Amino acid sequence: MIAALWQYVLAGVVVGAIYALVAAGFVLIYQVTGIINFAQGEFVMIGGMTAASLAASGMPTLAAAALAVVVAALTGALAYVLAIRPARGASTVTLIFITLGLSVALRGLGLYVWGTNPLSLPAFSGGSAITLFGGVLPPQALWVLGTDVLVFAALYVFFRHTYAGTAVRAAVANPPIASTFGIPLRTFAFWSFVAAAAIGGLGGVVLTPIPGATYDMGLTYGLAGFVAAILGGLESLPGALLGGFVLGIVEKVSGGLLSTGWEEGIGFLILVLVLVARPQGLLGRRVRRA
Amino acid sequence: MSVPPVVPSSPGTAHLRVAFGVLAVVAAAVWFLPSYYTGLVTLIGLYALVTIGLNLFMGYAGQVSLGQAAFVGIGAYTSAVLALRAGVTPWIGTLAGALAAALVAYVLSFVALRLREHLLALATLALGIVIGVVFNEWEFIGGSSGLKGIPGFAIAGHPFDVRGYALLSWALVAVGIWFAANLVGSSYGRALIAIASGELAAEALGVDGERLKRQTFVLSAVYAGIAGAVYASYASYIDPSSFAFLLSVNFVLMSVIGGMRTVWGAIVGAAVVVVLGQALQALVPLVLPSARGDVQSFFLGAILIAMLILAPRGITSRWSEARRA
Amino acid sequence: MTALAVRGVTMRFGGVVALDEVSFDARGGEVLGVMGPNGAGKTTLFNVISGVQRPTAGEVLLNGARLSGRPVHEVAARGVTRTFQTPLMFWGLTVRESVALALAARDSGTTYPPRPDRSLVASGFGLRARRAVDARFHDEADALLAHTKLARIGDRGTETLAFGEERILELVRALALAPAVLLLDEPLSGLNPDEIDDVLGAVRAARADGITVLLIEHAVGELLALADRVVVLDHGRTIAQGSAAEVARDPVVVDAYIGDALT
Repeated sequence: MIAALWQYVLAGVVVGAIYALVAAGFVLIYQVTGIINFAQGEFVMIGGMTAASLAASGMPTLAAAALAVVVAALTGALAYVLAIRPARGASTVTLIFITLGLSVALRGLGLYVWGTNPLSLPAFSGGSAITLFGGVLPPQALWVLGTDVLVFAALYVFFRHTYAGTAVRAAVANPPIASTFGIPLRTFAFWSFVAAAAIGGLGGVVLTPIPGATYDMGLTYGLAGFVAAILGGLESLPGALLGGFVLGIVEKVSGGLLSTGWEEGIGFLILVLVLVARPQGLLGRRVRRA
Repeated sequence: MSVPPVVPSSPGTAHLRVAFGVLAVVAAAVWFLPSYYTGLVTLIGLYALVTIGLNLFMGYAGQVSLGQAAFVGIGAYTSAVLALRAGVTPWIGTLAGALAAALVAYVLSFVALRLREHLLALATLALGIVIGVVFNEWEFIGGSSGLKGIPGFAIAGHPFDVRGYALLSWALVAVGIWFAANLVGSSYGRALIAIASGELAAEALGVDGERLKRQTFVLSAVYAGIAGAVYASYASYIDPSSFAFLLSVNFVLMSVIGGMRTVWGAIVGAAVVVVLGQALQALVPLVLPSARGDVQSFFLGAILIAMLILAPRGITSRWSEARRA
Repeated sequence: MTALAVRGVTMRFGGVVALDEVSFDARGGEVLGVMGPNGAGKTTLFNVISGVQRPTAGEVLLNGARLSGRPVHEVAARGVTRTFQTPLMFWGLTVRESVALALAARDSGTTYPPRPDRSLVASGFGLRARRAVDARFHDEADALLAHTKLARIGDRGTETLAFGEERILELVRALALAPAVLLLDEPLSGLNPDEIDDVLGAVRAARADGITVLLIEHAVGELLALADRVVVLDHGRTIAQGSAAEVARDPVVVDAYIGDALT
């Protein structure tokens, strides 16, 4: 019983690491533009499907992976230029619907390009399964967790120790003043989409060797990433990281104990409870109503 | 003795006349349309019914629901289970379906309607998916394989054919339009519009924004539940995938295309989405021979984005502006 | 006779004390000016009285009944309403409809909407009684607008109004509620001289009708001329209260306003 539970926790850590990456994309875009990008999960799909199809056509796995991240980033850039920038000044509700439309369109595109069959990608490195306190992890899990460490470390360094990162934080804190200092908000908005897409795509790429990739995987990962971001308070990258792992573990453990069909439902049930009890997230501070 | 005040006729009356006109056209059309097209007409009517309710909640009250398909599902399952397990006629089943959807919406509103904008969108989406999971996992209502052989509507022992469903759904649309138009033209409708742009200012006049939103949310669930119950009998088969998230997105699309803050836009939106879906299904394989499956969703998404950028108030807004001017 | 009583109201935001044990009474049918330099806590005080913010400590009473802790719409239904520093309009409604909404809310006798059978269902089924009441609200709204510069533009959409028209509509809307207490947050700012006269006239008429008016205004001259009594806040504390003449001479007040002429 305990052994099974531990195995669920390990599985939750792996999937939670991906949720954390998607959540980081949500937080990035939300912080810079105030938009919740409902299409965030589609970047995971594009990363995973591109890498898998390129690898299947004979490209070396790591080259396919790298190219897939670029494709995801380009998709993010295009999405911003075609759908988000023309609607600047629109109401929040309009922007929600636009990103929703983006999500549906990208999924349709994925279906057109790759069809309905699941694609697979070889693990990045060989070797046997890793045993940890009696639980088993696939070798690819190390790549997944390593990606999390790298991405979050890079984001930390960017925001805390570079001029551009400080400028972004200033712009977020006070947009009118930032723009009088010549901080280009629109450029930041563009790059936030590119970065979020690249991070999501990277998540899809490192994940795909474990469960495979399908054209409709974006909805699941996008929603889970959104939930993780909310758990983390929507405004903090450490919160996104924590939220991702918490959600992943809770989902896998409860899914394992009940049945896998309930997994998704339980994640959302937790979300709803959090929204009601702590709308500021697990880490966030209570914000007063102005 | 004072002069009795002049009471203007109800705002819905004019709409009701037009709606009956539309109903007459539908009745005439389905007489010689092939049954496949009559089926589409029925579907447009049922989708329009859901969208009228959604327009009240989203367009007038300024809220968001990404989970409307779940209420359609609750209406459908309630009526279907009552008919299959207890032999209840779909007429009663439809009332029960509306009531069940309203009850669930009422309970959920205490969670969802505390939230705004992004979080409301997420909460309604999440609740919709949770309800979908319940449909999938609850064996009593058929689980993932759904329910088959759902009894149809009948009048005095005569079962409805496909024309009967077209007439029933469009009669419901006529009533739905009438009710919504009455509401929109009353002080109640003004209160909805007021909280959409100035909730705090409306509250300073004694308007309980949350209560108003709750009632409208419940009303939108009633519209959805009725449509769902009729759909269950019409299709005679339902499963959880009939009420998945993508259907909720489609309702948003219909609402946006027709114009969220309109009553009639619901019909236009539903017609455009259904017809466009059919056309794309026929055309896409001709232009892109390699296309497989439900590829037209790409175009639906693209149209949603284009509408929001180019005509955010829907394609019927120009007509109503012309009338107002 | 005390209408509105503010008792030891304290409002803290984290470490910042916006209001520090503020106490005063407003009598029925008087105009009570609320003065103070920027950041003195005037708008926070209005937010607490109107229920937008819940005070950290202290209470607000209307005719002896506790208001603080109640949400905005309940405070309004009990007879305390307000305007905002930046007028808030109901986009999509006409001028007349905006005022009619206030009349409908007032008519419900409690918060709006009343029970569904009297509002949602009655309206949706187009019941004659309901329609008759709605029609009456429109006529009454026109009557209320008749004395203002909005008289001829009842049909205009509120999104087309000029700033001064917005201020006046907001005031008419609030008065349509027939409140016991009316909180006006800088009702004169941004208005031209004609509009200022209109607003001053409306405030005097409200006072004559027995409405208690609390008035925040930076135009100190107008404020002192209009107010029966004045409360002066500085850094969240009450530093003076009394008749307009007393307060204008109070050295503590003059100090707080260094440089500002109090004439």
